[in-house]
Amino acid sequence: MRVVIVEDHALLREGIVALLQEHDIEVVAQAEDGPGLLRIVDGHKPDLAICDVRLPPTFTDEGIRAALEARRRRPELAVLVLSQYVEPAYSAELLRESESGIGYLLKERVSEVRTFVEAIRRVAAGGTALDREVVSSLVSGRARADGDGAADALAALTPRERETLELIAQGRSNAAIARELVVTLGAVEKHISNIFAKLDLPATDADHRRVLAVLTFLRATAS
Amino acid sequence: MRGDVLERSAPARGPLVPVVLRAPAATLATLVLVIWALTSGAYFWPAWVWLGIAYVIALVASIRFANSIGHRGARRFTLVALIASVLSLGEIPQWALSGFGYFWPVWALLGSVLLIGGYWIVARPSRAELEQRVDELSRTRRGALDVQASELRRIERDLHDGAQARLVALSMKLGRAEDRYAEQPEVSALLREAREDASAAIRELRELARGIAPPVLADRGLEAAVRSLTDRTGMEVEVRASLSRRPTPAVETAAYFVVAEALTNAAKHAAGARAEVRIDEQSGDLFVEVTDFGPGGADPSGGGLTGLRQRVEALDGRLQVTSPDGVGTQVEAMLPCGW
Repeated sequence: MRVVIVEDHALLREGIVALLQEHDIEVVAQAEDGPGLLRIVDGHKPDLAICDVRLPPTFTDEGIRAALEARRRRPELAVLVLSQYVEPAYSAELLRESESGIGYLLKERVSEVRTFVEAIRRVAAGGTALDREVVSSLVSGRARADGDGAADALAALTPRERETLELIAQGRSNAAIARELVVTLGAVEKHISNIFAKLDLPATDADHRRVLAVLTFLRATAS
Repeated sequence: MRGDVLERSAPARGPLVPVVLRAPAATLATLVLVIWALTSGAYFWPAWVWLGIAYVIALVASIRFANSIGHRGARRFTLVALIASVLSLGEIPQWALSGFGYFWPVWALLGSVLLIGGYWIVARPSRAELEQRVDELSRTRRGALDVQASELRRIERDLHDGAQARLVALSMKLGRAEDRYAEQPEVSALLREAREDASAAIRELRELARGIAPPVLADRGLEAAVRSLTDRTGMEVEVRASLSRRPTPAVETAAYFVVAEALTNAAKHAAGARAEVRIDEQSGDLFVEVTDFGPGGADPSGGGLTGLRQRVEALDGRLQVTSPDGVGTQVEAMLPCGW
């Protein structure tokens, strides 16, 4: 797997490079701003770009915009965006513009090495990785909403099914969910089909599409 | 106490009659009296000396009194008025000592009245000048608040780039070490705890930053920040915004915190209800309206709302809370933007 890293803070950038190299992931190039991202993606044609949201010159959301632009130029590029703070609107933007291979994580997740590396591999392979804080705030927000049938449906899920739902929204595969919840693969599959039935979501095989389905459901109360 | 308030801006006032004058004046006055008594003159000439001493003391006291007034314009006027009064009124004892008769001081007195009256009419600040002063004060106050809001955003950026980034790099090194010692549970457990402590610090810094200068507000503006807020409250909130340009940081931050406080109160007291947020511009001003259809009956003098009102009024805005029982609560803010 060939990866490029775009991060203006040198200490972090070097740390991520070292981390990836310890896990046999090749970092072919690095950059410090939006134009740099586009340049190295054009030049090195990597599988995955890991990119900070805040980049020079304005340090607002150059990272997201550059990542989306890079995707437009090269649709097979997977993108993992790192952010100091989780902004659900950014995740919605990223997911809206793409079929697969999108990740949006809090920067501090890089310290959970196994999870981080797993997320990288998953996104590079076309899956999804959404930070668990985004997901949990969406889920708990949805559960507090009142007055419509969908909220009752969420309440109709068992605690195990709620946990499974959150892990689906994070983009985890069935196998990963089974490992995380310490249950069998069969149990996970059963949970999932129950969830999709109770929430009246279309059953789909593609991991990414089911993430989208779940997130659309969760965000349905937001205007 | 009251004296403190009135004179805080004025230079410290010493005694009206300076100490250095008192002794010589008293001595001179007594001396001439003694000399007159000893020379047994018939005509009481010390009266003239005393008049002279009184003049000097009166003028000195007037000058000191006028100087102790804080406001420059009032100081000058008082000085002119007092000196004119001393000089003209001082002619009355002269007239009396000269044996009365035709009241010639009347001219000086008249002249003083005309002088003082004329000065007052001319030098009194005109309405236009006062309006200008008020405008200038408002402008500089708004400027100060803008500077403060920009400073807070800069602090958030510095936190982001400095402390938070370092903590992330630190926790990353701890994570890598934890990974490498996976085969030694005692070591890796300790490293994991250290990493979790670092993560907690990162989270707290993030919450702090969000409390003083929410990053998404600075990065993406008011509407985006408000939508982010509504996601967080877990209420069903409809957001309608129609801003064509961004207000200054101070106004933007104030508007954001109006919505934040109103939504927090709604989530606390009207948890299941529907809410609406409207943001628009009308005749150069920013209008923010947060309405919830909950139980109503909110207390407009509650701590959070008072703080909001201060924020809004500091920018020459207005805040209004309407909360009829059983209907709901509406918080409206108007913030002038000079658009």
